[in-house]
Amino acid sequence: MGTELGNYKAVCSARSTDKDILKRAQDGGIVTQLFTFALEEGFIDGAIVSGPGEEPWRPRPFVAMCKEDLLKARGTKYNLSPNVSFIKEATRSFGLDKIGIVGTPCQMQAIRKGQLYPMGLRDVDDKIALAIGIFCMENFSYQSIVQLVEDHAGQKMESVKKMEIGKGKFWIYTDRGAVVQLPLKVTHKYEQPGCHVCLDYVANLADISTGSVGSPDGWSTVFARSTSGQTLWDKAVAAGCFEMKPIEQVKPGLELVSKLANEKINKNRKTLEERASFGVGKGLRSPYI
Amino acid sequence: MSKIVEISPTTRHEGHSKLVLKVDDQGIIERGDWLSITPVRGVEKLAIGKTMEQVPKIASRVCGICPIAHTLAATEAMEASIGVHIPKDAKHLRVILQCANRLHSIALHNILILPDFYLPGTEKKINPFSPEEPVRSVAKRIQRLREIGQTIGQIAGGEAIHPSNTRVGGMYRNVSPLAKKKMYDLAKEGLVLAHEQMDLMIAIIRNMQKRDWTEVGGKQIPLPKTLGYHNQGYMAVDPVYGSSSLDECPRWDPTRFMETRPWDWYMGEGEVTLADASYPIGGTSPVGTKVNPQMEACTGVPMYDGQPVEVGPRARLVNFKNYDEKGTWGQHVARQLEYTDSLYAMIKAIDELNPDGKVLADHIPQGDGTLGWAANEAPRGTDVHLSKVKDGRVQYFSMLVPTTWNFATCSRALTGAPWQVAELVVRGYDPCVSCATHMIVVDDEKRIVAQKLIQ
Repeated sequence: MGTELGNYKAVCSARSTDKDILKRAQDGGIVTQLFTFALEEGFIDGAIVSGPGEEPWRPRPFVAMCKEDLLKARGTKYNLSPNVSFIKEATRSFGLDKIGIVGTPCQMQAIRKGQLYPMGLRDVDDKIALAIGIFCMENFSYQSIVQLVEDHAGQKMESVKKMEIGKGKFWIYTDRGAVVQLPLKVTHKYEQPGCHVCLDYVANLADISTGSVGSPDGWSTVFARSTSGQTLWDKAVAAGCFEMKPIEQVKPGLELVSKLANEKINKNRKTLEERASFGVGKGLRSPYI
Repeated sequence: MSKIVEISPTTRHEGHSKLVLKVDDQGIIERGDWLSITPVRGVEKLAIGKTMEQVPKIASRVCGICPIAHTLAATEAMEASIGVHIPKDAKHLRVILQCANRLHSIALHNILILPDFYLPGTEKKINPFSPEEPVRSVAKRIQRLREIGQTIGQIAGGEAIHPSNTRVGGMYRNVSPLAKKKMYDLAKEGLVLAHEQMDLMIAIIRNMQKRDWTEVGGKQIPLPKTLGYHNQGYMAVDPVYGSSSLDECPRWDPTRFMETRPWDWYMGEGEVTLADASYPIGGTSPVGTKVNPQMEACTGVPMYDGQPVEVGPRARLVNFKNYDEKGTWGQHVARQLEYTDSLYAMIKAIDELNPDGKVLADHIPQGDGTLGWAANEAPRGTDVHLSKVKDGRVQYFSMLVPTTWNFATCSRALTGAPWQVAELVVRGYDPCVSCATHMIVVDDEKRIVAQKLIQ
């Protein structure tokens, strides 16, 4: 195994034991359950999550300070939620001293960079207690999702119950039971171009990163990466928050995570190389060099 | 025969200023001129044509020590011009912000003035890493008080320096119940520390008051009992917060204000005839240096009822609490008394703040060009901003800041003191000079200002 999965202290397959959380969770309800536990145990004072926005399936970052707030933010919304934009405000008018934040790998990078060089983030760097990263192949703008759901899938945004990417397809489930699957080939052109330079699939810089890939349906793969992440994870498991299986015993297992991570990295390396020779004698700089 | 001595720059205060002093044979000041030599910021000109939302943000950038006062005064000047009243919870947040600013500013001033006084021990700097007591614990306490002030400021205002949360019509957002508790905890902790610090500072100031001399540059300089006395009036609009033209009974009157140009007020051309190389921080300017306060001063000289006035902590205490101690020591004591005042006012505002209340006015008019003014009681005194807003754009903007008022008054207060202690008198005003480099109103037709400056 190479470096595509980043550094981690432990990896397993898990799901929440809380029925309320699982009911509308994307997979194993890991993020919601972890934040709930961390809030109750005082590990964090509040968490920046992607709650419901003004339009259906448009996430809006907000600071959840109780379980009810967290439940509102369950499930994946496949478009941009600028969670990092709230990180300063969380320490200000929300009064948080220990912030939890969930985000994609690029958002984890932004947070760590902010901690390293706290430009414009006065008194914020030491207050990030728990950063949960989610696996991410690429992201979409809201307009793209509307196009995919309303035009390609022929469904109304309001009636969508769940969206999911899995088994090589983009799945849309509606309240009245319709299931639409779009081949990923269709979705490619709606991806954000900015995502095509990212070389991180599994949120290498998070305290804990999680995603459905590698685990059976209804379960999630969880990497505990930092010491504090590992400690929290162990405590949450000991408190009975999660059902856990060793990753070696589940199908499809870590191999699939590695495969997809490598796929993303290799594909995006090509974009980086193309960009290096983009234009006439003045290539765009790779953010990773 | 009188001689001229120049102390340039003056130290241990914000900004750049200098003292040009005409002294007699005994070295006693006959006439003192204290003037700003900080380049003009030009904020008032930058403001023209900008939106009313932008201008308070730009105005706060004039300085980093009391940006909160400038933001609040400018925001409220816009509100006064367009005629919008803010919800009461927004007002509470602004009061909290104001008190937080005052708290950390007084603590900062303690660091600047303590080397003038006598603390037991050999350590001359207020250094938290010193192994020596009491300077170590005093420095730590000052740091903690500043931290408390700034943290409360950043919760209520979004940022401790250049607060982002204030806006025309109220505030961008209210605080969470958790943030309210956090502010409460900090204020309670601050209150205990502020009491201790206030008692210590007053004891130190009273000790100094009893002394007959102080040491400056290795020499014993006599301290007159009337150090810093002046016969000018005091101006303050509120014990804590401020006043604006929207108030039922506004406590400031623009018609009583007028501005004199520096060349009508300060000394003319001269030459330094007395120098002392042993004066702290590199000595005074050498003999033969040309001075010309009239042309070098970057401030106008504001008058209220035709006279310079003193603004600041003592002015607030004199006007609202019958405080009657004159001179530099009285001024220092007044400032220390505001330590606890600011925290009590802050705790009262936190008590009354409802975290669920709305903080933005329902309707924000865009303005019809009416003149509005707001006077904010900044740590250093009354900070008056005037503005005219029409269709959301600023047509006229003027800042009359605390130290501008004090320049002329302090110059008067220097008379009668040995020139070596002139800086002690200046520091009593806690000068903050950057914002005091007030751009003088240009008379477009007569071009008076431009002509004089070009000459």
